[in-house]
Amino acid sequence: MFRTTDIVLIAVMIGAAAVTYRIKQGAENELEHIQKIKTQIRLEHDTINLLKADWSLISQPKRLQKLVDLYQAQLNLQPTSSEQIVTLDQLPMRPVKMPAPPDSAQVAQNGHDGVVTGSLKK
Amino acid sequence: MIRRWLSRFRKRGEAPDETIVVDGARKSAGGRAGSRIFMMMVMFFCVYGVIAGRLVYYGSHDEEDSGPPPARPTEARPDIVDRNGEILATDIKTASLYAEPRHIVDVDEAIDKLHSVLPDLNYEDTYRKLKSHAGFVWLRRQLTPKQEADILALGVPGLGFRMERKRFYPGGSMAAHILGLVNIDNKGLAGMEKYIDEQGLSILQATGLATQQDLKPVRLSIDARVQHVLHDELTQSMEKYRAIAAGGVVLNAKTGEILGMVSLPDYDPNNPYNALEKNRFNRMTNGVFEMGSTFKTFTTAMALDSGKVHLSDKFDTTHPLHYGRYTIHDYEPKHRWLTVPEIFKYSSNIGTALEAEKVSIEHNKEFLTNLGLLTRVPIELPEVATPEQPKVWKPINQITIAFGHGVATTPLQTAVAGMAILDGGLLIEPTLLPRTQAQADEHTKRVIKASTSQDMKYLFRLNAEQGSGRQARVPGYFVGGKTGTAEKVVNGKYSHSKNFDAFLAGFPINDPQYVTLVILDEPKPYGGWPATAGANCAPTTANIIRRIAPLLGVEPEFGHQLQSLLVSYN
Repeated sequence: MFRTTDIVLIAVMIGAAAVTYRIKQGAENELEHIQKIKTQIRLEHDTINLLKADWSLISQPKRLQKLVDLYQAQLNLQPTSSEQIVTLDQLPMRPVKMPAPPDSAQVAQNGHDGVVTGSLKK
Repeated sequence: MIRRWLSRFRKRGEAPDETIVVDGARKSAGGRAGSRIFMMMVMFFCVYGVIAGRLVYYGSHDEEDSGPPPARPTEARPDIVDRNGEILATDIKTASLYAEPRHIVDVDEAIDKLHSVLPDLNYEDTYRKLKSHAGFVWLRRQLTPKQEADILALGVPGLGFRMERKRFYPGGSMAAHILGLVNIDNKGLAGMEKYIDEQGLSILQATGLATQQDLKPVRLSIDARVQHVLHDELTQSMEKYRAIAAGGVVLNAKTGEILGMVSLPDYDPNNPYNALEKNRFNRMTNGVFEMGSTFKTFTTAMALDSGKVHLSDKFDTTHPLHYGRYTIHDYEPKHRWLTVPEIFKYSSNIGTALEAEKVSIEHNKEFLTNLGLLTRVPIELPEVATPEQPKVWKPINQITIAFGHGVATTPLQTAVAGMAILDGGLLIEPTLLPRTQAQADEHTKRVIKASTSQDMKYLFRLNAEQGSGRQARVPGYFVGGKTGTAEKVVNGKYSHSKNFDAFLAGFPINDPQYVTLVILDEPKPYGGWPATAGANCAPTTANIIRRIAPLLGVEPEFGHQLQSLLVSYN
């Protein structure tokens, strides 16, 4: 009888130890994982900052102006002059293109044109 | 088990029934043994207690890093961005390379490998450092990310990196004087960097609450494009006219926001080795100059606003004015009576002096104070100079101040006062932070009547059409302006060869959206033109306006110039 209680208690103790160990191990693993992700986030943040600075550096007006000057022959970019800026209401109407009328000489030769109207009988 | 123990207890309990108790020698010896056992137990408990305590301690504490000393505490600073969100200043992390000589296995191999990444590494110096028995040595500060990755890839033991924060200004010298400087600990030393510290950042940093992610970027009213154009044009002009210094400011006339402000020569805040040179200070806010004829703007506005002078009034400029031992001449004497617009157009010293005389000295002083020309200009920058004026205003002072000699002001406050004259008579405090129209109204104060402002706009346009500001015209943008060519004081006397030139302009002048002021210090004659503001500052202003007006969305207008519109349809 005493042996049974002993064995049960020992089993419970070992079981409890095992469970505790598992939980602790799991928590440590999770912590490590979180730490890793945190490091990664920090790294990404730093990279984003750096890329932003980099972008700002390469999109500097000064640099763009230099590039425009350098590739003037190919790009032929010019500053916008005030004459080139107009509003819509300042523009005249676009001239309408009419379809060309049928050749009148041909119509006269054939004696009739292709247009069939209801009043005519063949 | 329990029953057995109980039965034993019962047995022991029966013992007192025996009448005679004889304690033998063994029993007495057993008593002593009991105390010994107890002592042993205490000792074992102590030893195991210490061991258990240590175990708990090691389990709960992480092992501390041995190796490099703690990093230099560089505090995080917020980014500074322009009004469109373009980065003007940011923190970047740079890696600095250190070595722990004790952990380096083969010094020669380590140096050879490092040499492949850092070709300019000093061989002997590095060898000496790595052979030393120091625990820690710096090898190279602030490496590029590429170099860092390459060194990591070498896989040399005993090398490590420490991240350090560094302030980076992508625009270089573009907005140097506005942004200012930080020191090696990332503390603001000048400009807006210092302003940000004073606004509570230093407290945040001291309490450790300032982290890179939490700090919101600080937005300025500056437009990076305008700032660049200003910087670019002024650099060209300074070179072209061989001036010793140049400066310029662009203000939004409706809100008082500063869109761009440049003072040359400047410095590169990324490498500010020369920032403290005497010649490189911020002339726009921290330098005071006698503005010369530009000041006639204020004198004329004052005379018109007092109601004692009208546009059609005439003044006798036939002869130079004599005041005691002073004689006042005109630069281009007309030798006749001139109307107020003519006086403004020909920039007549005599005429302007006569206009000023109509107003009492007290009122004159009060008027200029109201315009903010005699007090420190309120602006976020820490570097602001106080204007200079005579201790006692005598009549002669009033006369010379009328045409801009005797009072020295900062160029920025001249531009701000000019903005008040041109924008319906409302003085708006300038700012380097973005501001809405409603916020601007809180910082607005009426200084002259709207009708006077209307007259002044007419005079400004007239001056740009027919007067000294002709070279400032930009087709479509309707520029109006006033030139100012002041002789500089050299050894207590006005020099005839050294000028201080300025050009104050607004566009479009019928309802100015933007006000600009360009200054050139000691320009030299160029291309057959004298070194006057009309010949150097005015064309510079034209170049600036031509480039910034389309960026700022100012609609060009040709209606009044009767120019036909050329349209082509393809």
